[in-house]
Amino acid sequence: MERIIIDGLSFSLPLFIMAIGGIYSEKSGITNLALEGLQGVGAFVGALAAVLVAGSFAEQSQAPFYIAVIFAIVGGTVYSLLHALLCIRFKANQVISGVVINILAMALTAFLTKYLNRSVFGAASDKFVLGVSVRITVPVLSQIPVLGAVFKDLYPFELIILVVALVAWYVMAKTRYGMNLRACGDNPHAVDAAGVDVGKVRLVAVMVSGGLSGLAGICFAYSISANFSSSIYVGYGYLAIAALIFGNWTILPTLGSCLLFGFARSGGYYLVQKLKMPSSYSDLVMTLPYVVTLLLLIFFSKYNRAPRALGEIYDKGKR
Amino acid sequence: MKGNSRMFKRSMVRLLGNERHQSVSIPLFAIILSLLAGAVVILFLGKNPLVAYQNLLQGSGLLPKPSYAGFKSMLTDFTSFMNAWTPMLFASLAVAVALRAGLFNIGVSGQMLTAGFLTTLVVGYSSLAAPVAKPLVLIVGMLTGAAMGGLIGWLKHQFNINEVVSSIMLNYIAQYVISFFINTYYVNPVSRQSNAVSKAARLTMMDTPIGNLKMDIPLGIVLAILSAVLVKFILDRTVFGYEIKCVGTSRNAARYAGIHVGRNVIASMIFSGALSGLAGVTYYLGYFGSIQPRVLASTGFDAIAVSLLANSNPIGIIFSSFLVTIISKGSTYMNSSSGLESEISSVITGIILLFSACGVFIRYKVKCFRDELKEEDERGKS
Repeated sequence: MERIIIDGLSFSLPLFIMAIGGIYSEKSGITNLALEGLQGVGAFVGALAAVLVAGSFAEQSQAPFYIAVIFAIVGGTVYSLLHALLCIRFKANQVISGVVINILAMALTAFLTKYLNRSVFGAASDKFVLGVSVRITVPVLSQIPVLGAVFKDLYPFELIILVVALVAWYVMAKTRYGMNLRACGDNPHAVDAAGVDVGKVRLVAVMVSGGLSGLAGICFAYSISANFSSSIYVGYGYLAIAALIFGNWTILPTLGSCLLFGFARSGGYYLVQKLKMPSSYSDLVMTLPYVVTLLLLIFFSKYNRAPRALGEIYDKGKR
Repeated sequence: MKGNSRMFKRSMVRLLGNERHQSVSIPLFAIILSLLAGAVVILFLGKNPLVAYQNLLQGSGLLPKPSYAGFKSMLTDFTSFMNAWTPMLFASLAVAVALRAGLFNIGVSGQMLTAGFLTTLVVGYSSLAAPVAKPLVLIVGMLTGAAMGGLIGWLKHQFNINEVVSSIMLNYIAQYVISFFINTYYVNPVSRQSNAVSKAARLTMMDTPIGNLKMDIPLGIVLAILSAVLVKFILDRTVFGYEIKCVGTSRNAARYAGIHVGRNVIASMIFSGALSGLAGVTYYLGYFGSIQPRVLASTGFDAIAVSLLANSNPIGIIFSSFLVTIISKGSTYMNSSSGLESEISSVITGIILLFSACGVFIRYKVKCFRDELKEEDERGKS
């Protein structure tokens, strides 16, 4: 039971922060299928930074981890500018742009990982090996029966994510920028009439989604396999999109759906271990989050209301 | 400086301004731009881009290599290139059909895998004779793909589930469930892949001796090119094609005109799925003879690129899939002869995609240039 909660949380929280990024972008009216690629490039940049600086710190030092996180956020943000450029300036189809960016990210990270490994580190490998992250156990709270597991063996990034998520919620719900952003997704012309630059609001929103996806990417890299290769992050970006659609583009319900994915996954693994099934059965377990998503979407899609101007190119003259 | 920008504008308008040719000239422009960008990347890596591109063509059997192994020649390279080209062509047609209806079928890979797997079970492991088995492979593949595509369309129509999300979910479910079955029942302990299908069921005649050569003859390529023509005919000349085009352009207008939107969404996804099914059987029972568990073919995703590049025009797709297959198929030879990582080829494909996604912008920009030029000319006269 404890393991289900611990592993579930370490999977759902990165997913959650990425979904928040998606919410920012989509609430501002930019469809963002590029989350997948953004997290990939973010994780790549972060992992590269960690590998480069690892030599100058002591074996047990956690500094590379924090450097990796910062660089991952920067990397994701910079790469997301491409999506912003295509969607806002070049008025490309946003779904197509998202998919293009994912394909390019996959190709770039796979190529660069291999190339840099060969030319800089002199090793024929398609992954960067990262250090193992420490885990924190909160002293008193973790003694609570069952629920105490929430405070046990936490990755430091889970705390970072919680703080960032809180800030993101505050900005979205309570500030003027957040209001403009939400309005951009529903009625961009009204925002324009109020004297706010729609393109700029959307640009910032896409950049936020890039940064948060990068953060999520590096967290996955540390928690799932302690290394980076272009194959480790495949699919989570789309899972995050499913989570935010299922969460009806609002932050708190999205947390719920992310937790559901995380626990479905860790619970399934636990079951395979507990019942001593052969390891190939874990493949069946891996389908759980996706099956659950599909089923839930069947029941809840009717009530979903996407931002009204989602996916529409903003055209000033079209009032 | 002013004169320069005027020159630039004028040459751009002259090059791309003809609206009748824009559907060809703009993708060509995008391809040339991206090949140039790719050349810069290759230069940056310290290699000669011209040699690299030449290697791509050599690896695809379009230019002669300096030397060949026994039983091999440029012709055998070209037939094995066509072997790789077939599934790509089918998959791109699948994407194009869905795009016409305004749907984004990103699940082509999953549909391919499911069709390939079921066909392998039903026909590939049976002892049917070739004249029965080969057509049966096509039929089972088509039906499986159609069923899966139809499911996505139905979910979209019935429950308002975004087809991108549902097809991605189905991709993963198919990938893991099939991997489970392969690993549990059909795995070949040496290759860690599924057991090879029977020779009778395989759509490519592998290593067939002709003269002093051993060729892989892909039977599917003829069908694939015929399908492209047929899809073109269906989309442009039939009521069904017209209706899905209406639905794709404006759902409300289509409804107002009395077109049944839901039925067309489902029908176009069935059509698209059937084509993906054909891509699947030509991939898993043609190009390869077995299935690698836990891996989705990248063909289904590259097909999106191919289809975009051709503006989802089936005839254009014949050419764009040809080009993209050259880049991916030739990369192995490029890797061995000039030492570039073969992953660079997918980077180039990605860049091509990026530029072709900007096609609308290029068209818009050219129009702006023309208007500006006209304005300046008029000002000059008065």
